[in-house]
Order: sequence, then structure tokens, then C-alpha cells
Amino acid sequence: MPEVIGTTVKEGLFDRILSLLSLLDRIPEYLSDEELEGVSAFLPDDVASTMNAFFHPRVRRAGIKYMKMVSRWVQEAKRAKQEGRKVILMPFNFTPEVIHAFEGAFPLTSEVLTTLGVGGLEGQGQRYWDYAMGLGIPDHLCSSSTIELGSMLAGNDFEVDGIISATPGGCDANAKIHELVSHYLDIPQFILEKPVDNTERGKELYRRYFHTLVEELEEFIGEKLDEDRLRFVVENCNRASELYLELWEMRKNIPCPVPNLFSFFSYGCRFTMWGRPEAVECLEIMVEESARRLETGAYPAEKEIARCGWLYTGIYFDFANLYNWMEEQGYSYLWDVLNLCYPQPISIASRESMIDGLAEANWNMPMTRQMGGDSMSLCWLDDAIHTIKELNANCAIFCGHHACKQTWSVISILRTELMERAGAPVLCLQGDSWMKRMTPISVIQREVDEFVKNVVAPRRKGRKKATRKGG
Amino acid sequence: MGPRGKAMEEVIRQSEMIENDYVKKWKSEGKKVLGYTCVMTPAEVIEAAGLLPYRIRALGNPHTEMADAHLSRFNCSFCRSCLQLGLDGTYEFLDGLIESNGCDHLRGMFENWQYVKEFDFFHYLKVPHIMTRDAMEYFEGEMELYRKAIGEYFEVEITDRELLRVMEEYSLIRDKLRVLYEIREGENPGMTGAEALAVILLGSAVPAGVFLDLLDRVIEERRDTDISGYRARLILCGAATDEVDFIREIESVGGLVVTDALCYGSRAFWTVERGGEEDPLKALAHMYLENLLCPRMFDDYYSRRDYVLAAVSRANVDGAILVHNKFCDVHGVDNVQLRMDLEKNDIPVLQLEKEYGAKADLGRIKTRVQAFLEKIG
Repeated sequence: MPEVIGTTVKEGLFDRILSLLSLLDRIPEYLSDEELEGVSAFLPDDVASTMNAFFHPRVRRAGIKYMKMVSRWVQEAKRAKQEGRKVILMPFNFTPEVIHAFEGAFPLTSEVLTTLGVGGLEGQGQRYWDYAMGLGIPDHLCSSSTIELGSMLAGNDFEVDGIISATPGGCDANAKIHELVSHYLDIPQFILEKPVDNTERGKELYRRYFHTLVEELEEFIGEKLDEDRLRFVVENCNRASELYLELWEMRKNIPCPVPNLFSFFSYGCRFTMWGRPEAVECLEIMVEESARRLETGAYPAEKEIARCGWLYTGIYFDFANLYNWMEEQGYSYLWDVLNLCYPQPISIASRESMIDGLAEANWNMPMTRQMGGDSMSLCWLDDAIHTIKELNANCAIFCGHHACKQTWSVISILRTELMERAGAPVLCLQGDSWMKRMTPISVIQREVDEFVKNVVAPRRKGRKKATRKGG
Repeated sequence: MGPRGKAMEEVIRQSEMIENDYVKKWKSEGKKVLGYTCVMTPAEVIEAAGLLPYRIRALGNPHTEMADAHLSRFNCSFCRSCLQLGLDGTYEFLDGLIESNGCDHLRGMFENWQYVKEFDFFHYLKVPHIMTRDAMEYFEGEMELYRKAIGEYFEVEITDRELLRVMEEYSLIRDKLRVLYEIREGENPGMTGAEALAVILLGSAVPAGVFLDLLDRVIEERRDTDISGYRARLILCGAATDEVDFIREIESVGGLVVTDALCYGSRAFWTVERGGEEDPLKALAHMYLENLLCPRMFDDYYSRRDYVLAAVSRANVDGAILVHNKFCDVHGVDNVQLRMDLEKNDIPVLQLEKEYGAKADLGRIKTRVQAFLEKIG
């Protein structure tokens, strides 16, 4: 291990990300094209590609704000650790605002760290995946968590104090790898199971589980949730929810005025700084930018050809060549499943009402809501049909992330039903959403392009023709 | 490796059929059969309703072409094999299904099976993934719904009295299976691992009374039998393995599987029963959830590890084979932890990832088992 002036250089994903984001933090709010080009020239290809995507002129203002927010999130985790606060690792389907409501704790999200590693590190964090494989962990686990957790397992990463596992009931792969890390590194684990039961019985059980979890966290952190602090956090959540829904409303317009990447940025806020003013500020900029585009009728392509709903996750190893590329072809990326968190206002009347509201927010988190439902296919299908109709989507794309055994097991039902009930053709891709090793972006582009040109566009023309004939 | 008696011959013959002769006879009498998959399904309730509880199996069926139109290549091949048999008519004798949330693959299998076949009776028994007071209370409620659903649909009253009678019968079966395991795990094992699996498999596909009788006969036959000619005593742990042939192949190269921690094996009956005066449904809820030694349970790994270590010690094994089907997350990850813990306890481990029912895989597996046996002497 190299030594630098008496300090051990950390090789873990978190510390490498921290170094990079600390640099990005110094970037001014307004960056010229020349300045961006200059900075990119010094960066390794993988990093420069993400930066160029996030700081593309169409999304630059929001991109910079988003990166600064994430930078603050990572730096604050580091500082929290130094100050003796508890840093809690959690999956994306747990609401971070619960942890933000504790003065003595800070949340870190496994999948967000992985995504930052994939987008921000040379080699895209694959070395950590390889390390996990070296331990004998099966290669069919989910890279979204295993890349970051592989780094932790390697023993040279940031050390978290506790792990929340909120995926039992929703995703075996995620729940099992978090459990293994908890045992391997001897870190306490707190479990929030999602009962696969959408009846009142199931909801009541979940509410009780959630209250128990809060009590366990209070004991672990050594602090009772303070009502005023909780109220401050919930008020921020409510404001963020308003903005999130405002952005959602704007997506109904044709052409879609919301840039493709805002889908990713908005759930990036949801999974990190929700409940904090930083998420509110980031969402405000996204709303402003989209409103401006709506007002001017701006759209990156000559016309909007495809309005795509991504049925499950997106793809995160090449932002420029997916989100930005799609937009330039006239293919709007309206949402993916991670956007389907259905934020609702939470009553701030009492501590109890706020905790109940947070329990409900957790119930509605992506994947929990669909795959943790009493029927994976029906809960997922209901949300997909509703969203397709609400946002006037004319097609759907399934990313085909190989580790998603639940979605893969019922995608055939969705494909049939979406066509029959919503008239939406479905493209099923295959690959890994966080690793380019399985299916390169060029293949994904080609498949999306062929799907739109051969299936979506002709149907669109056919519909127009029929409408004209019908008068 | 050892001589077979008439009872064992009968067990082997019947266990190789999906619709065995006892099921055929049952159906010919106009009686109903309910299918289920997981060990967490209290079959006693089905039996107390006068129905035959039948645990779904695929018996190494390698064909999945119909199932593959519904499940994907990223789903476990055991589930795909079972679905195939559900779709190709092999399971036409079932009068309904009990779904349980064993794992993501199984849930998908059930959803597709029901989507295509539309059983008139399809009940979902929702089993918590953790063992807490709230979870138990919920599961007790689930048991009530389970009894009610079966009772209402099949127009039968499942009385506490009948339930208690069946529970006693099942308890007797568990006792006898433990005797069978004593014979198997002893210093001079009286049966092979393949035979033991066949016995347990048949037990969840015939009426309890029939199985009790067969068990008595098998125990009688094997009490004084000695299996010889093996190189090492092994424990087999891991995933849904109903492949008798798979164990036979391991044993063909000299590794005698003297005990197991399989869900079609010992984990299906190694249950601590609750005594005392109690509502039978409540007793069943506790018995099943508290003893669910399955990696789909969370916060309970150390119970599973201790269970395996106890079996290792009891059966005095020379090595452990940990197996999981490709894409099985719950066993795939648990086996990593188990390997580490077994090795800490100086138990040599062979970790195998395999495709279910794939004969083409057997050559590779045999080579690895042979190498493992060389290694452990």
C-alpha cells in the first residue's frame, strides 16, 4: 500500500470518490464550455465521460448543483465519522430522511456509492466487483450493491457503523449481500422487512416493523428522535415532494420538457439528501430548467419520436451515451422504476404522525412497492400501466439487469399485458445496468434505435393515419 | 453400495414418479390434491382437510422450453423445471396451489403458473422473513386465513380435533425420520444419501398413513445394514435439491452422503415441536416459523450455521459439499458464509454452483467431487 507523507492512501471506493468529489466541489456554479473542456482533458476517460454528460449545456446548471449536493453528502459522511456520529449504510429503498432526522447519525446509500464509483472512477469500480467474486460471492448478485460492498469487504474502505437492510421481501440479492457484509465485518444490522401483503394486515405489520426499527436506531445511535428536528426534516421532505411532483407533471407535455437526465438526478436526490435543504435546492433548479424549456418549446431533437418508460432501472455506466444520446435522437426517457416513489405530503402534527408518514413513504419506495407487493407482476404492472397512460408514453423498455431475478421472472406477464392493456410495446434488453462488461452501450443504443425505428415509430405513424381517416 | 430390500425398492420406484401410484389411487377415489413447494407450508392443515398435500418437485427434469417462454434464463432452473411440468400437463392432477414467498424465483414461478393455468383454488401463504413477536402474530393470522381458504373452497370444516390428530401423525413421522437419520449417520451407515433423499421425497407426495407404514418397513430393513466401499463421509447442504441422481453421482465416486441440510432433506422435518395445551394453529405457526432453517430468513444465519455444525459433528463427516443452483441468491450467498465458517472449524468444503437437472453438468461435477475426495483423503 503506498504511503503519502505519513498518511495511508485509501484504495476503497468511498475514499476515491470523496477525493474526486472534493475537487468537483470547487467548480463554479456557472462553467463555460472552454473551462469544461479544459477540466475534462485532465480526467481519465471514464470520469470525463460522466462529467461531460452531467455538465452538458442542456443540463449543466442542474448537473453542477446535483454534483455539489452529492459531494456534500459524501463529505458530510466522512465528517460525521470523524466527529463520532454513526454512519449508517442503507439500500436505496430506505428513506434517508429517517437518518437525517438524527443529529448523531448520517445515511450512506450502497447503490448511490456504487453508481458514483461507476460514473466517477477510472475502471468504473469493477475491481471491487472482482474482489467480491474472489471471495466466492456468486456472479449473479446485483452489481448495484456488490461493487460498493465489495470495496467494503476488501477491508480498505470507509467503515460504516451500522447497516439497514430494507430489502427482505423485495429483493433477495440485495438483502443477502447486505446480510453477508454485516456478518463478515461484524457490523450491526437493522432489518425492515416488507410483508408481501398489501392488505390492511400487511400495512399494519409494516407500520409496526417501522416503529420498532426507529426504536432500535434510537438505542443504537443513543438519541431519541427529536420532534422539532424531525419536523424540520419532514418539512423539507414535503417541499421536495411538491417539486418532485411538479417535475412529474411537466413530463406529461409533448415534447417532454424535462431533460432525460433529470430522471436520474431526481431520484439521486431521493436516495441521498431527501429531508435536507440541499435536495430541495437541487430539485428547484430542475423544475426551473424544465419550466424554461417548456416555455420556449425547446427540445434537443427536431421532433420527439419516442416517449419511453423504463420499466425497471436505467443504465448507469455511460450517461452520455444513453440519456443524452436518446434525447438527441428524439427519444424521451420519461421515467424508470426508481422514479416511482410516489412522494406524498406527511402530516407534521405530531411525532407519531411524522413517523407514520415516513413508514408510508418507505412502503412506497421503488422496488419495495412493486416487487414487495403481494403479487410482483400485478403491483409492477399497475404502476407501469398507470404511468404509461399518465405520461403518454408510447413504449416501454426493460433494462434486463441480469441480477433482477424478480423482474426477470415476471417480465413476460408485463410484456403481454402492457401491449394488451396500454398498447405499449416492450423492448427487453439484457445486460448489467452498472457494468459495461455484459452488454456494451453501443449494443444498447442499437437495440433501442432499432426498436424505436421498427416498432414505435411505425405504430405512431399508423395511429396518426387512423386518426386522420377517422376525421 | 448396499443391498436393497422390498420396502426401499418400493420407495425408490414410487419416488421416481411425479404422479406416483398412491396419488393415482387417491385421485381415483375422487379425492383432491393440493400442491405446495416450501418447507414453510404447514401441510398438516391440508391433510386435516382430507386433501393430499403434495410438495412440488421436478425430479431432475431437464426440459424447460415451455417454462422459458415465461420465466427467464436468469431464473433458477429448478423453478423453470417445475413450471415446465406445470405447463406441460404433468401436474394436471393438482386441484389447486398454495403459493408461498420462498424466494424471488419461486414467487415468479407461481405467478406464471397461475397466469397460464388459472387454478380455481390458489392461495398465497405469506411467511415473514424474520422471527419477531410482530411477525409471529402476523403469521398466526396467516394460518387462520390459510385454514379458512382451504375450508371454504373445498367445503370442509377443518376442526381443531382433526388438526391435532394429523399433527400427532406428522410428529410420529418426524420421529421415525430421525431414526432413519440415525441409521444413516451412524458409524456404519445403513443407507446411502440417494436412498435417504428418495424416502423423504416420497414422504411429501403420499398420505401420511401410507408414509408411516413405508417408513416402518424401511427402518426395519435397514437397521442392521452396513454400507461399505466409500472413501469419505460427506454432508450435503444447500438449495432445493430433489435430484436423487445428483447424489447418486457423488456417491458413485466414493463420497457417501451420510447427512444433509437440504430443504428436501433434513430441513423438512428437523423441527422442534411445541408441547403444552395450545390452539393447534398457533402451535403450527410457531413450529414452522421458529424452525425455518432456510436462508430466505434474515437475522437467523447463525441458527443455520449451528444446525449444519451440529449435523457435521453428529454424523462425523470428513467434508462438506455446499450446492446451489445457478442464480439462487439466497443459497449462493449463504453458502459463502457457511464455507468460511466450516473451514474455520477445519471442515473441508467443496462449493458447487450447478444447473438443475442438467446431465451435461454432471461430468464437471463428478470431476470436482473426485478432486475433493482426493484432497480430503
